[in-house]
Amino acid sequence: MQYERKYTWSILLRLYHWALALSVLALSVTGFYIHFPWTNTMLEGGSTFPVATMRYIHFIAAFVFTGAVLARLYLLIFGNRQERLWDFLPITPRNIKNFVATLGIYSYLRDSHEERLGHNALAGSAYGLTFLAAAVQVLTGFYMLYPESATWQQIGLFFGPQQTARFIHYLLTWYFMVFALIHIYLCVWNDVMARDGLISSIFNGYKFRQSKS
Amino acid sequence: MSKQYCERNFKVSRRGFLKGCTLAATALGLSESMVPKLVEAAASPTRPPVVWLHFQECTGCTESLLRASHPDIGRLILDIISLDYHETVMAAAGHQAEKSLHDTITKHDGKFICVVEGAIPTKDGGIYCKIADRTAMEILADVGPRAAAVIAIGTCASYGGIQAADPNPTGAVGVQDLLKGTPIINVPGCPPNPVSFLGTVLHYFTFKKLPRTDQLGRPLFAYGRKIHDHCERRPHFDEGRFAEQFGDEGHRQGYCLYKVGCKGPGTFSNCPAIRFNDVGVWPVSVGHGCVGCTEPGFWDTMGPFYGRLPNVTVPGAGGGIVADAGSAGKKILGVTAAAVGIHAAVGVGRKLVQGKKNDEQN
Repeated sequence: MQYERKYTWSILLRLYHWALALSVLALSVTGFYIHFPWTNTMLEGGSTFPVATMRYIHFIAAFVFTGAVLARLYLLIFGNRQERLWDFLPITPRNIKNFVATLGIYSYLRDSHEERLGHNALAGSAYGLTFLAAAVQVLTGFYMLYPESATWQQIGLFFGPQQTARFIHYLLTWYFMVFALIHIYLCVWNDVMARDGLISSIFNGYKFRQSKS
Repeated sequence: MSKQYCERNFKVSRRGFLKGCTLAATALGLSESMVPKLVEAAASPTRPPVVWLHFQECTGCTESLLRASHPDIGRLILDIISLDYHETVMAAAGHQAEKSLHDTITKHDGKFICVVEGAIPTKDGGIYCKIADRTAMEILADVGPRAAAVIAIGTCASYGGIQAADPNPTGAVGVQDLLKGTPIINVPGCPPNPVSFLGTVLHYFTFKKLPRTDQLGRPLFAYGRKIHDHCERRPHFDEGRFAEQFGDEGHRQGYCLYKVGCKGPGTFSNCPAIRFNDVGVWPVSVGHGCVGCTEPGFWDTMGPFYGRLPNVTVPGAGGGIVADAGSAGKKILGVTAAAVGIHAAVGVGRKLVQGKKNDEQN
């Protein structure tokens, strides 16, 4: 069986992916520390400021996360074919078909489905949902970072007062952690099951497809 | 002054007595159920007598206990401790006073508590502080070893205080530098909070031992935590919001006083929690930085009062976490914009060079 190398993910998309992945990791770790600062009684009396340090890392990572989300927003519209929104959201008959087929594959009910270079429609839907979650996380985050800013108050009050925004922000943290778990599992699963080089594609940008000949 | 006023001012009401014991229990970190035990110990007729020695001092520690702003605690201290000798408040004078000191330490040898206020000068045979023709060194060497425990009240008695400040002309030292073998506890401060002193005394009366102390001999219940860590202005420190000088916008906004000389990051005391004068204030709450008066050698090491304490790192990159994250964020978002711009430019450029046909094939 012959395979050919196809350029799939642009440099910007790969940069976005790793900026997002690393910032989510940093945000989760520091976020849970801020939620429950468990070293505080141990470090009390020392000249270190662990909560302040953790919050600082959280804020820096939050800006990286925001940058990544904005880059993805651009790519959703102006990226290459695989990166665009309408290639993977179940909004066209082709994508809805692919969505159902992928569900069948993942539940071991089908053996083959349409091979496509970009995201399958099920993954694409999850990414769309995650993008919305990320937007909410960014907005509630800045609302809490600049509580005295009139601009952020106007935007943030859509979510309610500070505490409500904090609660939404906290709940969505769990969404991101669950997402990461499923995402990594399914990527490995796909890499094992198919021969398109899914995992290496997010490093070098290339996937493999069977030659038509 | 009317008789009624005097009576009211010089008696501790039961309410005031219980209030004082409850305050002390709170300061000690004891549960509510321990309050009756403290009350019992404080009211016990067998509580040990107290001898209060004044050496090189300003009487500020005694004054702070007796201030009318917290009459209950001041009176409570005088009431619960059987004060047999205290030069400021005792009625006796001259030979009578010295006799009462002599009688107390003879009668209650090894059982009384000795409170020391003020530093002890040691230079030139200790001649810089003499009471009843004896030097402070002689009095301490006579009374100290016969006490069950010594409480050094104030920074002078604890570590020498302002008398011991460079160049220390009288060779002043604290009690712990002269007295060995007797349990000594330091309640430093200039002056110390009366509640910290009351807590120490009641702890001794109730449990028959001095409270646990840190390496500097200070009770942990009162000096176990840094002022900085309990300060109401602490969030401003973390976020990088400072009063740059007295009276400026930051000062009026109630921002952190570290840059105008607050020594809170290097000072251990319960001031932010216990506060003073029964009206809930302490220096930082009224806009003046901590001067670090509970630390050894604070006149030398905590000065100048309005200079920044060195070796304190402001969290973040040095300017506070929100401000620094904001400036880092601008750079990060700038890099993002650049990356997106380059991507767009390359896309547009390729389209121009290769033409539309080529793009469609791709």
